[in-house]
Amino acid sequence: MAAGAEVHCGSTGPLGFPDLPPCDRIMPLMGAAIASTTLKVGLEIHVELATRTKMWTRVPNVAHPDFYDLPPNSAIDPVVAALPGALPVMNREAVELSIMVGLALGCTIAPRSKWDRKNYYYPDLPKGYQISQYDEPLCYDGSLRIPGVAGPKDIGIIRAHLEEDTGKLGHELPGGGRFDGSLVDLNRAGVPLLEIVTQPDFDDAEDVVTFARELRKICRALGVTEGIMQRGHMRFEPNVNVIIETGDGHRYATPVVEVKNLNSFRAVRGAIDHERQRQVDAWRKDGMVMGPGMKSTRGWDDVRGITVLQREKEDAHDYRYFPDPDLVPVEVDADWLDRIRVRIPELPLARAHRYEHDWGLPRKDALALTDEQALCGFFERAVDALVERSNRAINEGAAARALSKLILNAGAKRANERGIGVESLGISEGQLADIVLLRDADRIGSSAADELFGLLCGTDEPAESVAGRAGLLQVRDEGAVEAWVEAAIAAQPQAAQDFASGKDAAIGRLVGAAMKESGGRADATDLRDRFIARLRT
Amino acid sequence: MTGHRSLDGAHPSASDIAATVRRAGGAMDVVRRHLARIDAGNAAINALREVYAEAALRRAEAVDAQVARGEDPGPLAGVPVAIKDNIASRLGTTACGSRMLAGYASPFDATVVERMEAAGAIIIGRTNCDEFAMGSSTEHCAFGPVRNPHDHDRVPGGSSGGSAAAVAAGFVPVALGSDTGGSIRQPAALCGVVGLKPSYGRVSRYGLVAFGSSLDQIGPFTRTVADAALVLGVIAGEDPRDSTCAQVPVPDCGAAPADPVRGLRLGVPKAYLRPDNHPDVAGSLMRAIDRFQAHGATIVPVDLDLVDAGIATYYVIAPAEASSNLARFDGIRYGHRATVPAGSPLDDLYAATRSEGFGREVQRRIMLGTYVLSAGYYDAFYRRALRVRRRIREEFDRAFVTCDAIIGPTTPTPAFRLGEKNDPVSMYLCDVYTVNTNIAGICGMSVPMGFAREGSARLPIGLHIQCPAFAEDTLLRVGRAWEALHDPAAPAVAGAEAAR
Repeated sequence: MAAGAEVHCGSTGPLGFPDLPPCDRIMPLMGAAIASTTLKVGLEIHVELATRTKMWTRVPNVAHPDFYDLPPNSAIDPVVAALPGALPVMNREAVELSIMVGLALGCTIAPRSKWDRKNYYYPDLPKGYQISQYDEPLCYDGSLRIPGVAGPKDIGIIRAHLEEDTGKLGHELPGGGRFDGSLVDLNRAGVPLLEIVTQPDFDDAEDVVTFARELRKICRALGVTEGIMQRGHMRFEPNVNVIIETGDGHRYATPVVEVKNLNSFRAVRGAIDHERQRQVDAWRKDGMVMGPGMKSTRGWDDVRGITVLQREKEDAHDYRYFPDPDLVPVEVDADWLDRIRVRIPELPLARAHRYEHDWGLPRKDALALTDEQALCGFFERAVDALVERSNRAINEGAAARALSKLILNAGAKRANERGIGVESLGISEGQLADIVLLRDADRIGSSAADELFGLLCGTDEPAESVAGRAGLLQVRDEGAVEAWVEAAIAAQPQAAQDFASGKDAAIGRLVGAAMKESGGRADATDLRDRFIARLRT
Repeated sequence: MTGHRSLDGAHPSASDIAATVRRAGGAMDVVRRHLARIDAGNAAINALREVYAEAALRRAEAVDAQVARGEDPGPLAGVPVAIKDNIASRLGTTACGSRMLAGYASPFDATVVERMEAAGAIIIGRTNCDEFAMGSSTEHCAFGPVRNPHDHDRVPGGSSGGSAAAVAAGFVPVALGSDTGGSIRQPAALCGVVGLKPSYGRVSRYGLVAFGSSLDQIGPFTRTVADAALVLGVIAGEDPRDSTCAQVPVPDCGAAPADPVRGLRLGVPKAYLRPDNHPDVAGSLMRAIDRFQAHGATIVPVDLDLVDAGIATYYVIAPAEASSNLARFDGIRYGHRATVPAGSPLDDLYAATRSEGFGREVQRRIMLGTYVLSAGYYDAFYRRALRVRRRIREEFDRAFVTCDAIIGPTTPTPAFRLGEKNDPVSMYLCDVYTVNTNIAGICGMSVPMGFAREGSARLPIGLHIQCPAFAEDTLLRVGRAWEALHDPAAPAVAGAEAAR
């Protein structure tokens, strides 16, 4: 073998899984030390689509917010329970939502795709087969650019195909209490499930998490799911291995491990990090490399922070895929595609890019604002309101910068306390714009702006009258301001003396004291000018 | 065959019953009379597994009440109907001739059941069939074999043997069956009645317990072609619950053309004139061809070289689909569940349940289907079968360029004795003339062609008519033409000849 050649045999099967000729054990050369290790991760993501009804029948879909907490086995009918004679009928909305995700990920949408049966027995799979898409997925060949740890990175999307979720097995009786056998709940069976498969393009666990978060944002922005991780709306399955390069220039690929069903970002990161270490350790011990039948499946133990072997090798599984004769192929014509395209809003990363580059927001703020679709809308409506109310004296960029500060400070603080979004605090976009206008005209100070924000939550009164009533408007009355200045000098004689004798820093104490005297109604710049005039001339 | 006959005749047609009931009521009387016939004759032939006497009388009462109020109960007003055991209905149990589903009560009605009832029909009972519609003799039935009303030592054909026998015995004027490879037409031929397999997608499969989903169709058994047309008109048409049910307008199947034969181009494939056809089958077919020709039809030789490939293709595709379709019978949610020792692995429960619940023929086909779909064999069997299927379809397409319909025998031989065909392959060959209709998705019908002599027995045989997909109007036209040409003395009800 030539130096530098990768010991990683064969081609890729239809699902992107390695499909390799036999070469499953190659002992590393004696004494060859590891020069470097490179992580290689591909990600499979299952997204439950929040259509109102299930994939193949018109019963409520428990992945839709209206039906999250239905009692066990209540979202079922003859189709879900696979009663004799029942037939599936495709849910077009699920196909549309899948295509929206596919388009957002830059995929090609297949003009024709078909449904296949994946046959296996399990009590949570009522028909004895799962309807899926085997070799003709709905969406394929896409990519998503993410801000990677080493700069922008394009993650290839092999495919995104639609299938159905399974039911659940449990051992706890409804309302608590352990049951000796297994209980089947078919509420989740037949929930539309979009499976997205990436290329093994990741070499850093952090990038996988960034991708996962970004995908969640996209799905939320598209209205495809609320993406509640604890409910299993999105489940991640990284395929992990490590390319080990030895000092003598040989490269070895460790056997791929698929970690099943991770439903938190923390678990995704933890599982990948753990696998990286474990696989290198294992290779040192046994020298096993990737080969046919070498892929194993592991689960994530959240408590111990390790992965645990679930299935040794991918041997016995033959799903006997074949086209489902109960369904007709999905034909997506240009017309339908156009109608779906107009449903796609501006996506979070594009929006963040616009905030950063067109409006001059710091990158961090732009990303924070685009986390939630509802917040973006609120923010952008406030920008419009501010530009309009200032009679265009304030341009969009300036408006955006001022408002984003207000939202991410005064707003986020209150929203976090209450566990809701800023847009739900009960302050309107117009009121928000007015706070900025008052501040811009020096009519309120910065601490007053924060306080006014709080006062406006839950009232639709104009900002100015609330500020006035609360005594937040800055006072311009000569006499009053002079009195606060004198009172401050009296209260801080040492500071006054220091400042008069040239110590600039001492002015801070004086301004603070005067501000305290005023109850926050004075303008700090005005006070500063007055102390200079009073003590330095 | 024309004009209104009174219902006092021994075996009125569905058309006559409906016409009379719509005009003057009397559904209760019709149902009582048929119940009495079932009572007297069913024990001997085991055609019906369940009889819904009370429910049927209640329905008949409602139909009569409708008529009394001046309402029209519909085109099948008061017509007693039997349904095959693999058609789901809330009435009784839907057992598919299987121990697996013995006692299984469906919570919903098949679309065909809904449509029949909405048209005024009265479901009077449920007919025995080969288990999960797999068979050609109705011997593979968990509830005992069905016997041919013409000769109780012989099979009625299958898998819809109970439906064919029920119509042939005069228990009902109409029965529904299902046809995956000949399961309506073959028993219709062997019992001497009309059996129609609609084009794939013509009739909703919702509620038909699936065997070979890409091949299955529900269709009627009747004693006249006009009745078959009447029933087809009721059950055909798209259904939002079955995506394979076609959005093709249903032609008016009711109208009979004035001169049905003249101008017809009838294709006769050489491949249908096999040397192993029973001599009386061959002779009757020749006479039929002559008679059609004498009345103005043109006989066109057509090539159907793939006739012999049909059985092989069928026994890859149908078991493949069946192996998957029958996976749901796992003992978890409904149906038979084996008792296994506590703590047994899940696979043991599945294996025991399915070994006990399914009969040998069903198990054989599940194994066959599992095999042809498994990794490494898929291309050699399933994919190849799909290629042959396409070629068979193309062959029919070419044939139908030169002819309106293809005619031939429905089966090579008349009914055989119970237990006579005990190796599976000879049983499978019963469908040699009928499977390709399903493989190609076209429509076909068996109409009585006469009788074949087997020793002292005189056994019915059938004329098989096939037409292009969704050309049921032509199919029915040819059927009616044949009825008009055919010896009207031939009885449609077994034993009626002796009673004359």
